Amino acid sequence: MVAMNPPTEQDTRGVRNDIRGLAEPDAEAPKVARIEGGTATFDAADLSPRLVNLELRRLVYGEGVREIRVENPGAKHSIAVGLLARCRITINGSLGYFGATLGDGPEIHITGRVGWSVAENMMSGVVVIDKNAGSLTGAAMRGGDLVVRGHVGARTGIDQKGGTIIIGGNAGSMTGFMMQRGRQIICGDVGPGMGDSMYDGAIYVGGTVAALGVDCVEEELTPDDEELLDRKLGIYRMDRPDTFRKFVCGKQLYNYDNLEPSERKLVL
Amino acid sequence: MSDGPEKQFDLSQRRLTTRQGIDTEELTGRTFPYQFDPGLVEGIDLQASTPGDDLNWLEDIHLMEEDGIPAVFDRYTNAFLKIHFDIPSGREDEFARKVLIKHLQEGNSYGIWLKHQHAKFPQPELGPWLTESATVGENWTPPTVERWDKSFTF
Repeated sequence: MVAMNPPTEQDTRGVRNDIRGLAEPDAEAPKVARIEGGTATFDAADLSPRLVNLELRRLVYGEGVREIRVENPGAKHSIAVGLLARCRITINGSLGYFGATLGDGPEIHITGRVGWSVAENMMSGVVVIDKNAGSLTGAAMRGGDLVVRGHVGARTGIDQKGGTIIIGGNAGSMTGFMMQRGRQIICGDVGPGMGDSMYDGAIYVGGTVAALGVDCVEEELTPDDEELLDRKLGIYRMDRPDTFRKFVCGKQLYNYDNLEPSERKLVL
Repeated sequence: MSDGPEKQFDLSQRRLTTRQGIDTEELTGRTFPYQFDPGLVEGIDLQASTPGDDLNWLEDIHLMEEDGIPAVFDRYTNAFLKIHFDIPSGREDEFARKVLIKHLQEGNSYGIWLKHQHAKFPQPELGPWLTESATVGENWTPPTVERWDKSFTF
């Protein structure tokens, strides 16, 4: 049993956190899923986000289920977070903010829309959203594929450190802000400030760019770039625009001739 | 898979320096056979070891260099793992990725090993690169510092 924090203001609202900051520390998986032949399905309509996540962990970690379907997610926040195993999860509906974040391995398909910061900090895996996503899509992503078939808001891939973000529609302002590694493939138009202060990585745009950010420059596409675009758009069965333009860091803001080891690791 | 926190690494064998850029060998106090023998990693199926229909997160893994020696970066330890065998020309990234996956699948990543002591929530000991992994973090207790007395004042 983990120690509880001293009473806080939150306790008066009936919410308790333990010393780890974990809400509802005494909650247990509701065990409502119907498991048939290695596939599980459950209805999230009457479950809190904590209970939805506990049920997902019970199924993936405890029962060894690798195919899960969640019905009626109700745009709840922070659903399907922190899953560290290979599995396939279909969320039939929309999610609120921080959906499918902190994942390392799961392949998550969301049939609706998502709010801010979907797949934030994803280490590996695949997240596919059939409709639109809010701002900060793929923030600080480290690896894996994040696919949004619709449009996305501002600051897509802010602080991205790896992986591939694929957008079927348009992207908002400050896309790729402070991007450090990885790739973004945007089939539609992009708003102003694209690639502002990006450090490394590449942004491929099929439509128009309203304005480039500081130190973002255009570069010729190579055969490797063409292979990447064909492969990624082919895997997710997305229409490829006739032409793509590639944007990278101009490296005019680099302050180090040779990165110190610790700084070098921060961007790996 | 790991033998557990007390068996996996003998920390008395390591010799930590004060230099920056600490590598895996320094953190664990040992090397691993697959750092020296390409035959131990040749058969690894990278596609099967990663989610999705291509290399997924391994796309960002490339052969690099540490202390003048070819190395692959283990993001789970924040340290380089050196590769001491001759890598065939044109297959640099492939072998870097295979050595890293072997390292992770065998439970030898130092950062992952630290989960035994520091994981706060129940989770697979190893990551998505291995199924049927043991669970760690079920009995986490807040850490205490030896000889720490809250009433002590400087």
